[in-house]
Amino acid sequence: MKESLLDILRCPLDKHELELEDATYDESVDGDSDDGEDAAEVVDGTLVCSECGERYPIEDGIPNLLPPDMQEESPA
Amino acid sequence: MAAPHDRSQDRADRAAVRDTYDQIATHFAKTREYAWPEVESFVADTVGDHARTNSRTEMPPIGLDLGCGNCRHAELLADTGHFDHVLGVDVSRGLLETGRERAQEREFAVDLCQGDAAELPLAANAISAAVYVATLHHLPTQAARQASLDELGRVLAPSPDGRALVSAWSTAHDRFDEDEIDTADGTGFDTTVEWTLPGGDTVDRFYHIYTPEEFEQDLAASSLAVLEWEVSSGNCYAVVAGAAGSDV
Repeated sequence: MKESLLDILRCPLDKHELELEDATYDESVDGDSDDGEDAAEVVDGTLVCSECGERYPIEDGIPNLLPPDMQEESPA
Repeated sequence: MAAPHDRSQDRADRAAVRDTYDQIATHFAKTREYAWPEVESFVADTVGDHARTNSRTEMPPIGLDLGCGNCRHAELLADTGHFDHVLGVDVSRGLLETGRERAQEREFAVDLCQGDAAELPLAANAISAAVYVATLHHLPTQAARQASLDELGRVLAPSPDGRALVSAWSTAHDRFDEDEIDTADGTGFDTTVEWTLPGGDTVDRFYHIYTPEEFEQDLAASSLAVLEWEVSSGNCYAVVAGAAGSDV
């Protein structure tokens, strides 16, 4: 997930902004260029709603922003 | 407004749809190689004129494939070169993985996000152009389908900037015998369609089959403004704009 996507991603519940915590980055992507902020690629971390505090995982580069009670897989 | 219990049941129903697609993702994606011609026309004729810096929010142009599956339509948006980002959103992590593979194989850029079409994790007015194709009919309740159209209206840049193409399967498809469809009240019907996996196992998939009238009514009741609509190859299509007066 590109870090710059934080500009448009929101909490699915209350649509407030998300803060990135505990991020690990893809070190093969140059995050120090002029365009560094756009280029930084988040591999794992947590997106936290600035309003309600709900936490959403980023796993292997893909954020899971499903509403919390849709996050868990239901038993088969 | 749905009671809390209804809302949680609604989400459980949508999670079940997600589980279905996680189960069939790899095989399903292989059978979805080509973009639909109606989507190609929308991207060729409409998207270029509207993929511009959002005049209200001054956000760069961003494209959205909602219900992206293997990203065949995100690829069309990416190939225009008009967008700073093309975002692929799907409820199924399994399908998103097939989208990532396609993007790597075919060398186009797409940003992926797991999300629910009825509760979009996106900022208001952030999207310049969207395709919402063959996804609406998988949402299991009328409330969820209506909410998802309102959500698309919320995230689309306000008119005249934002444009989207919405499609859903309809009773006009020749698979359905019109004489057997009870459309006395003008609404379509719910059904399941089997998906057969390579080993022969079958998985039931939920569909709501719209009548063209119901499709038009649901759009009219939403925050979207309908600019054009048609029935083509058994699907209803509408070109829509974001609400003109929505607040930033």
